[in-house]
Amino acid sequence: MHITIDHTAIEVEQGMTVMQAAALKGIEIPSLCYLPGHSNHPSCMVCLVKDLDRGTLFPSCAMPVADGMNLSASAKEVMEARKEALELLLSDHVGDCEAPCRISCPAFMNIPLMNRLITANRNEEALRVVREEIALPLILGYICPAPCEKACRRKKVDEPVSICLLKRYTAQDEAIRKTGLEVVSEKSGKQVAVIGTGPAGLAAAFYTLQQGHACTLFDKNEQAGGALRYRIPDDLLPKEMLDADIESIRALGGEFQLNYPVTGKKWDKEILPGFDAVILATGFSEEHPVDEFDLPILEYESVIHKKSFASGKPGVFGCGSIISEQLLSVRSVAQGKKAALEADAYLSGETIPRRTPMFNSSIGPLKEEENKEYMQEASFEERTDPGSGYLTGFTQDEAIREAQRCMHCDCRKPVSCKLRRFSDQYGVNKRRFDAAERNQLTRNLQHDLVVYEPEKCIRCGLCVEITQKDGETLGLAYIGRGFDVRITVPFSKTMQEGLVKTAQSCVEGCPTGALADRTSELVNW
Amino acid sequence: MPETEHKINEIVERIVDVHGKTVDAVVPILQAIQEEFNYLPEEALEKVCATTEITPSRITGISTFYGQFRHQPAGKHSIKVCTGTACHMKGASKVYDAFRRELNLTGLEDTDSQGLFTISKVACLGCCTIAPVIRIDSVTYGQVVPEKAGGILQDFLLHKANRKLDDLPIEQAEPNGQGEIRIGLGSCCIASGSSEVKSELEKTLADARIHVEVKQVGCVGICHQVPVLEVVKSGEPVAYYAKIKPEEVKEVVLNHFRPEGLIHRMKLDVIGLFEQILNDGSPLSVRRYQAEERGTPVEEFLGPQMNIATENRGVIRPTDLEEYKRSGGFEALSGCLKELSPQDVIDVISASGLRGRGGAGFPTGRKWQLVKDQEDSSKLIICNGDEGDPGAFMDRMILESYPYRVIEGMTVAGFATGATEGIFYIRAEYPLAVSRVKEALTKCSDAGFLGENILGSGFSFHIRIFEGAGAFVCGEETALIASVEGNRGQPRIRPPYPALKGLNGKPTLVNNTETFAFISWIIRHGAEAFARIGINNSKGTKVFALAGKINRGGLIEVPMGMSIRQIVEEIGGGIAKGKSFKAVQIGGPSGGCIPASLADLTVDFEALIEVGSMMGSGGMVVLEEDDCMVDIAYYFLSFTQSQSCGRCTFCRIGTRRMLELLEKIRNGKGVPEDLDNLEHLAGSTKRGSLCGLGKSAPNPVLSTLTYFREEYEAHLQGKCPAGKCAPLISYSVTDECIGCTKCAQRCPSEAIEYTPFEKHVIDKEKCIKCDICRQACPEDAIMIS
Repeated sequence: MHITIDHTAIEVEQGMTVMQAAALKGIEIPSLCYLPGHSNHPSCMVCLVKDLDRGTLFPSCAMPVADGMNLSASAKEVMEARKEALELLLSDHVGDCEAPCRISCPAFMNIPLMNRLITANRNEEALRVVREEIALPLILGYICPAPCEKACRRKKVDEPVSICLLKRYTAQDEAIRKTGLEVVSEKSGKQVAVIGTGPAGLAAAFYTLQQGHACTLFDKNEQAGGALRYRIPDDLLPKEMLDADIESIRALGGEFQLNYPVTGKKWDKEILPGFDAVILATGFSEEHPVDEFDLPILEYESVIHKKSFASGKPGVFGCGSIISEQLLSVRSVAQGKKAALEADAYLSGETIPRRTPMFNSSIGPLKEEENKEYMQEASFEERTDPGSGYLTGFTQDEAIREAQRCMHCDCRKPVSCKLRRFSDQYGVNKRRFDAAERNQLTRNLQHDLVVYEPEKCIRCGLCVEITQKDGETLGLAYIGRGFDVRITVPFSKTMQEGLVKTAQSCVEGCPTGALADRTSELVNW
Repeated sequence: MPETEHKINEIVERIVDVHGKTVDAVVPILQAIQEEFNYLPEEALEKVCATTEITPSRITGISTFYGQFRHQPAGKHSIKVCTGTACHMKGASKVYDAFRRELNLTGLEDTDSQGLFTISKVACLGCCTIAPVIRIDSVTYGQVVPEKAGGILQDFLLHKANRKLDDLPIEQAEPNGQGEIRIGLGSCCIASGSSEVKSELEKTLADARIHVEVKQVGCVGICHQVPVLEVVKSGEPVAYYAKIKPEEVKEVVLNHFRPEGLIHRMKLDVIGLFEQILNDGSPLSVRRYQAEERGTPVEEFLGPQMNIATENRGVIRPTDLEEYKRSGGFEALSGCLKELSPQDVIDVISASGLRGRGGAGFPTGRKWQLVKDQEDSSKLIICNGDEGDPGAFMDRMILESYPYRVIEGMTVAGFATGATEGIFYIRAEYPLAVSRVKEALTKCSDAGFLGENILGSGFSFHIRIFEGAGAFVCGEETALIASVEGNRGQPRIRPPYPALKGLNGKPTLVNNTETFAFISWIIRHGAEAFARIGINNSKGTKVFALAGKINRGGLIEVPMGMSIRQIVEEIGGGIAKGKSFKAVQIGGPSGGCIPASLADLTVDFEALIEVGSMMGSGGMVVLEEDDCMVDIAYYFLSFTQSQSCGRCTFCRIGTRRMLELLEKIRNGKGVPEDLDNLEHLAGSTKRGSLCGLGKSAPNPVLSTLTYFREEYEAHLQGKCPAGKCAPLISYSVTDECIGCTKCAQRCPSEAIEYTPFEKHVIDKEKCIKCDICRQACPEDAIMIS
């Protein structure tokens, strides 16, 4: 028999669901509660499609195909209904996708994950997390004013976690620092010039090299570092630390052309013909040094677009204070990465990388009792001061002790959470159906491996089914009905008793961050 | 093993022995445990899991899904305050508050400190015509006002605490003497004191040696006049005595029947009275109406009605099988078995145009055909008696009054579709219906109308009862089936329809109680006769529970196509207390409010849907000028919201957000865009919900927004035009006050400062808006503004 979805005729078999039929032709229908091999009792209603003959909507995950069905999986009404289902789910969802510290970090560094890895003494991985976003951990470990610490929820309990020093700590050990500097991608054979070696230029070079391109850094001074070297005094940023971060870029394969002011002539004769792409990071200047590059003026009298980091000339990008004066080095570092990714996309002919941040659910201020819930994972120790002074930084013991103060406000499933993924995809307005009063968040840490956050649960019941299928004695159960229904372990037993053999499969089956691995998923390494 | 644990284990073992160890026994097992302990002790549940196939996950899910189950010990007696529509309209929430005050309950407490009473709200006790209603254990009190709360508790403890189920043994007919006196024993009648009247009647008759049959009939329908005594004597027109009190019984009896011999007359010590009645015919103190007399309230109420589902209303004893047979009972069944093929039966039902009376109006014949066409050796028939709509009590009345008719209808359906097993799904809140159906089933089996080889035809059919455990959503057929299977009552997607894959995957016919009640009449009178009644695609009659601000409420059966106006004005006698007719709410929480301006609309499936309402199961609540439409919308939505199974997003969260918006508006805190958001969300919830509950839940909101938007807008301005929404109103004393202090004495919050014979003053800070003062004032000097 045949059905039609979005004008595409699909040959189907009796017993198939509409969603399965759609998949045959690559028509993607989002769903949270659908899990192959399970009963697929529709609950999330994000997989709605429209029956064009009857004018009704129904969940495609459970609807059996019937000959001659004429459906739409993309009509405006369908998209709107899916979006509303997501918005309703979000109105009943209490949890931050990303911790406030990470959100307030201009470089978007994954701070809670770094802290968990430091706590577990997994320093190489911790540094890797840092370098995902911050190419210069030592430098920023000294000079960053740490906006993250101002947003740290621990501040409401006593004092914020000493994030900046912990970040520095991850790169303090020379041996560890050298790890992870292998080139990630295969060599592309492309040549990229980075003009200027301040924080933006160094970061741009770091990520360009990581993408597999050859990179030459040009600087008019005799040593690399730009403002970091020539404006910041030694007692704030020891020169050997600056050198160490620069050394990492050299280790990655970066070539430094110093004492090399890029004049108009050099620009035309050497840079433009000699490189496949150029990233300008010459910093802020009162006069217009960029005049020499003969680039058209874009908005706000800048030659570089502040979102796309591109100039009016193909292949020429820019970052840092060349766009507008940057007061935070960490922002320049963040821009360096973004410009590098834009240049990479240009070189590989791929679509331009996304420029808007991923959807983020945020709770806002916590109530006092909620702080207590989060404090379950944190030590009650006071904020640690480095025993050998600020310039020396943390010892291993001090770092672990400090990292243990982290309340782990982030979600442990920031990548695989379907609620987040589809909310992002459907461009939801998370405040549209704001609850009169949001639920109080709780965090259940009874299980060694699992963190259970009931206020992130969408009540699909997959975990209940998984525990029953896999023969748990207790497993999980629904408790209550209607709006107040929750998932719990029967007979007031603990999660540890409930999930004896299905902890992992429940975590994998849960479509949101309600049931998650305590350490959290590690970003696709 | 501690003694209590040992005892619990013993009890659980006994219960499991009775109900079995399979998963579908979970609800009956839990009901039995609760019956034993008054709640569900966790140890007992663990014991059940240890000895049956029921898992901890299942027992937790089930025992917390259904409203009937408690996990904390309850007081010795349970007070259930009905919050059905009619009760709500007449101040149920104030009654609830009054009982809580009486029991000194604060916060979330539901049981008083001595552990005597546990109070809870209940969706609908189905006694809408004597609203507001409360039930303590099995004793029902009607027309309760807040200030009587204390008195009722006292009355209960003194007189009724030891009574069992509020039913009287139904006695068999005695040889006919001078005539018969019928007394209604439906739940409403009993709640209004008909059992007391009956005792008094029997005493009087015995003392006077009058040989008259006292016949206990089912619901008489004239619920606004109960208790009703109906005197039938050959040679005299039938006389009704309405709202009769025990002390009036003697007078009524003697008005019609002569005691034997002077001695007994003297013994009665009523010679004077007796002679007076017989001789000078001076008017009686009681309200008497003759059946044939025109223009009496009884005649007006009953006249336009047509009894098919309620055939022989007020005449037959509910569980008297012989009498049912005498009045044509089981003729339809035996006729089918002897003369018709199953297909013939279905053809008759199809030709009659009968449509399901549960709400959606699916053609009954077509549904039967679907089930018949399935190749399966075990098919099922389910009678859906899970009437949970606040403001509806048709199913209760039919099950209480005509159990045989429903059994016959189910059995005919079984024959027609090839089913071998039937299940009565009856709400646990209807104990009287359960006990009468139980009795009727036993008698049918004994008489060969049920069981193996019925009437020698070779057709076998068995029926059992499943008591629902308190979840409105189980009225939805897939949820109902889930609950019989021992699952949480969560609807599933259709198709497959239960007709193809129902209970345990077997083809299952689910029809509403009222639908089954039509079957025998249709078979006996023919499809034509039924199809002649009604209008367009809505054939036959429909039973409605007529309640609200009306002069004559009750259970009515009218031909489809009657206009709303005719029902309200002719049958219902218009609006009570001379107020003006504002709207009628049809179909309960799934229906909508139809404004008085559309009163000429005919009542049929399609016409109601067209104006944004629906037949639903047939609750009809009349509203007048003092009723606030925002409050009505809030009331219905809060009901459906609380009854959502919680499975799908739009219903679980959508109805909740809608309710929050309504709450905001009701509190005068709404802004204009809230109305748009509400309307929008109502639309998406209607389109996006999985089952009928969610799809129809927005109807009360949408229909009031359509017809009464100006009332919503007034609330945005901080005004409740009807003076109903507590946050927007205040009580004050007018100059009419004579200073009698009655209000002040009754005020539960000491908010009335008074000096005798001077105008009293209400302290608005202390006032809890319980309305007691206004009711107590003899001068109408309490004003709401």
